[in-house]
Amino acid sequence: MRAREVYVSGFGLVAPMALDAATLFERICRKQSCVREHPRFKALGFTNSAAGFIDDAQWQQIGAGFGGNPALHPRQSVLAEYVARQALEHAGLTPSDFAHSRSGLFLGANKYCADSHDLHRVSRCMDDTGRVNLDRLLDTPAASSATFVRRVDQQTQYLADRLGIRDHISTHSDACAAGTMAIGSAFRAIERGEIDLALCGAVELMANELPYYMFNSLGALCQADLPVSEQSRPFMPDRSGFVISEGSAMVVLESAEHARRRKAAPLGRVLGYANVCEAQKMTSSSRDGSKYEECMEAAIEDAGLLRSAVQHVNTHGTSTQANDSCEALALQRLFGECQDVMTFTANKSAIGHSLAGSGAIEAVLSLMSLRDGVLLPTLNYDHERTEYPSLKFLSEPMRQSINVVMSNSFGFGGVNSSLILGRA
Amino acid sequence: MNRAIYINDAAILNAAGSECADLLGAPLNAQPLAFDARRQAFALPTPRLPGDLFDRKIQRSVEPQGLRLLHCAARLAPALAALDLPPARIALTAAIPEVDAPSPCWDAVQAIIEQPHKQLAQLLANTPPLHALTLLNSSVMAYVAEALNCHGPMGGFCSQDNAGLDALIEACQQIGEQNAEAALVVSSSPNLTPALYLREPGLASEPVFGEGAAALLLSSTPSQDATQTLRIAGFARGYSADPQRAEAVGRRVIDQALSREKLCLGDVGRIVGNPDDPQLNELFAASSQALGSTRGMTGELGASGLLTEVALSLHHARQSAATPGYTLLVSHTRAGHWGALLLASETMEKHA
Repeated sequence: MRAREVYVSGFGLVAPMALDAATLFERICRKQSCVREHPRFKALGFTNSAAGFIDDAQWQQIGAGFGGNPALHPRQSVLAEYVARQALEHAGLTPSDFAHSRSGLFLGANKYCADSHDLHRVSRCMDDTGRVNLDRLLDTPAASSATFVRRVDQQTQYLADRLGIRDHISTHSDACAAGTMAIGSAFRAIERGEIDLALCGAVELMANELPYYMFNSLGALCQADLPVSEQSRPFMPDRSGFVISEGSAMVVLESAEHARRRKAAPLGRVLGYANVCEAQKMTSSSRDGSKYEECMEAAIEDAGLLRSAVQHVNTHGTSTQANDSCEALALQRLFGECQDVMTFTANKSAIGHSLAGSGAIEAVLSLMSLRDGVLLPTLNYDHERTEYPSLKFLSEPMRQSINVVMSNSFGFGGVNSSLILGRA
Repeated sequence: MNRAIYINDAAILNAAGSECADLLGAPLNAQPLAFDARRQAFALPTPRLPGDLFDRKIQRSVEPQGLRLLHCAARLAPALAALDLPPARIALTAAIPEVDAPSPCWDAVQAIIEQPHKQLAQLLANTPPLHALTLLNSSVMAYVAEALNCHGPMGGFCSQDNAGLDALIEACQQIGEQNAEAALVVSSSPNLTPALYLREPGLASEPVFGEGAAALLLSSTPSQDATQTLRIAGFARGYSADPQRAEAVGRRVIDQALSREKLCLGDVGRIVGNPDDPQLNELFAASSQALGSTRGMTGELGASGLLTEVALSLHHARQSAATPGYTLLVSHTRAGHWGALLLASETMEKHA
């Protein structure tokens, strides 16, 4: 028993083709991919235009309920408010609850990335010597509110002000692990008694041409000549890279005492967390998976559990050769004979890799599995051809009540993190 | 905190110099910016990294802000190595709100204005492939972790000016909770680019910015060769976007930082904070201590500002004539963050 128990009392989520967590969960249960052909990538002539992206119809709905004029705010802030509103409603909270409690906001994010349209707008404000005329730029609202004034913490700041957060706001920039890190940091802050209530998760919008080009030039994106919905195939021998995606998810965490005081029913619990830096190589981990194993082991230890208590793992599973191989080796070694009674899933098979957003989205899906007793399938997974037969990845949804899930996020640069989540 | 945490070493780099003593020199004048002569700031040349720690490709591929951070981190390598700790017991926390800014690529902007019909081609032609990693901010952290063997708990923080405080507190908590024996805390201020001046266009009084970086080495044991130690005696943070609550939050944060040592403000020998911040001045109006800061020497350093002030406190503590006492550092950002850090300068005998 921990000094302070940490409950999950609500969550919100937006992913490609899903404006809430229930829709995404249902889609994955029905084995429907959220990966599509990105029209802009196609128009630009990219060889592979597969992506998970929030489309214009989704943006219209997201913007419709926004507190201000969405056109005057970065999309990250508009999305953050939409997802936060879902999470608060789900938890039965209002912004004033945050303003009147010891509260915190912890959001993961990576940098805002300019696209060619952003740069073209700025180029119109350059003078004859090639310098940007700041006055002219500031007088051009469309340009000045674009990439050059945007900051990695813009949505955190915006949301903190909207909610009246009292005690702690932070933006976590730990690459693909940032969402998990943000949830883990909020968990720690509540556990330490620094705050009673937290909103935590991540916002990531990277399905545009510059990140695509850059990750593709590294060889990190899927190169296979496959239908778009089949390109993300974690843990399969023919996997060849991740599919770039985007999205946001947030969870409401609160101390057990705080939840009891307001008679809130917990949806789940955060039991343990570990974050470890390994820095073996910029784009791949220790090949034997030992560093991933250490991280997972530390999280289980932090939860005060034996590894046999973990019944289901929501893997990082990016669909790159190196990451999946390292993670599979780590899982096999860590769980040994326990694998026989465990199940595994890889949500990126359906959603693609939303980088900082992925850990938060996968934490929400894990909490839903705990709550509903439904385990999600891994799309494009073929048991006949699997490379790691001891890891029981589900290719169909499965109804099974479970108590403990581990959710992994392993980022570029050796940024590793694991969350242990429990049933309420 | 469950155990004592000491600041064993510090490295800085800013317009004043690369030694902490440089911060005590004659004030410098800010210089006109290359891209806007009407504005003045404290710019820095790009430093060269030591070849024994960092590969040449890092010198070539990392942008100036990241190189400044790495330059500071490298100078702490001997002190970290002297601790002789397993890598898994060394934490790394980083205040890197803007490090490796991949966009805007000013070269691409220039290229697009020259050939506006080739927007995408120009954008891609001027974007180095490695920027995929720099988008994720973790590249500089990974370089530090790899070169200095920090394989323990880690965290990267991006809350702009407050990121240094976040990184420092995370390091203290990791050591305090015995997840690590030592921690490297690294930080960097933003590059002086037009973007920096576009973010807060409505400011009544625009700060004089400076480029810089700072790094600290924290440990659960004091430095072996030091006769004076600098211990982290308390910390606290708060936030309020509402100016009407700001003073109350600031007061609560200060009281909380002092409470661990059961102190009141009168017990503090030195108070560090921005003397130009009206709310800070209000808080300390009744105090006999004047607010001091290195800003006049360096400009506003953003995420590396607090760590630079801590480095100077370590320098003061290490002086042969230093007397034991407390220093309180108070930070208040324009965004509404408050932070307080209490440092105790003590003689080594106390820990014998």
